[in-house]
Amino acid sequence: MTKNTDEMIAVLRDETYSPPPHVRARWHEAIDEAAAIEQHRKRPARRGWHPASFFIGIAVTAALALGIGIGFIMGDTGRPDEQATTVVVVPVPQEDVPAALARGLQLHFRDSRAQILALDESSDRSDLVWRIVEDNRILESAATRDQAPQIARVLRAIEPILLRLAAENLSDGELADLQTQLAFEMNVMLTKLARQSSDDTQTT
Amino acid sequence: MTEAMKAGVPPSKADFHRVIEARSDRWYSACLKITRDPDLAADAVQDALLSAWNKRDQFRHTARLDTWIHRIAVNAALNLLRKARPGTFEALETDVESGESGPEQRLRDHELQSELAANLGRLSDIERICFVLKHLEQWRAREIAEEFGTNEGRVKQAVFRAVRKLQAGMRDLQRAQV
Repeated sequence: MTKNTDEMIAVLRDETYSPPPHVRARWHEAIDEAAAIEQHRKRPARRGWHPASFFIGIAVTAALALGIGIGFIMGDTGRPDEQATTVVVVPVPQEDVPAALARGLQLHFRDSRAQILALDESSDRSDLVWRIVEDNRILESAATRDQAPQIARVLRAIEPILLRLAAENLSDGELADLQTQLAFEMNVMLTKLARQSSDDTQTT
Repeated sequence: MTEAMKAGVPPSKADFHRVIEARSDRWYSACLKITRDPDLAADAVQDALLSAWNKRDQFRHTARLDTWIHRIAVNAALNLLRKARPGTFEALETDVESGESGPEQRLRDHELQSELAANLGRLSDIERICFVLKHLEQWRAREIAEEFGTNEGRVKQAVFRAVRKLQAGMRDLQRAQV
């Protein structure tokens, strides 16, 4: 190999690129979340029914459902500022999704949204979150396979928010914020999927 | 390396945060040179970090944590690229000179700022990946061949073509500067 080629390789090897700050922040958070989930899993499961928590949970769920309903009525063109509770940015996909994948996604988002909104402070969140994360990953693989890279990216972007939900030391406020954000992201996706499904019906 | 790591204790959360601050530019750069896609590169590093965290009990203390994560990140980048662009690695089996990257890829190349790095855009995916793995990541041809399920001869051919194209790119660059 010539000296020039060696020099070229050396220059290329030494060239480094910094990730955007929010990306590096996401990596730090991913480790914090993974550590929090691990701690939570090591802890023995709590048993018993707590009437106070149950009724607080019902109230929080009702308030969230009302808020999300208002969000729906207000329209889907923009994202209200108060929703931006974390640094994770979930992109809205513009691509069309194959019908079979769209049905799977709708089922996943509907079920997950209902389960997430039903969580309260006393719930054992980590098992539920892991089940949702596993489904999320299966659908992400399917989206990648079906040439729907934007959908795959949305599913990947949702994962860190889901993992944060499993953290042990969440305050009631943090839990409610994460529930709201996840429900919002899932609503955006469900609205997009429903619109696509309606367009498909009209064109056939 | 912290005292705990020297003593054979798995790396801690603080160790991970420390190496992210110190070395994540390197991981991201390696993944970006492989994928030429900032989103895939960022996802590859995240996948690698979570994978390393989950397997940290297997971490050998004769190695460095950052180089261990680096290797996992490169593998994660290859896996994501394999999923995102199916058929990329099949080009090795045809063993013929492939064309340059498409317009979409060239658009992404603005992320790689130097002219020399931009020259990587003259290469096909498989030529670029074989070149990056062989010369920048120091993989052996045998390891690359195993990764892609092919033989060493085809990998060496792809690397040879990559070097030839890069040299031609450098000559063009030098002529333009005169």
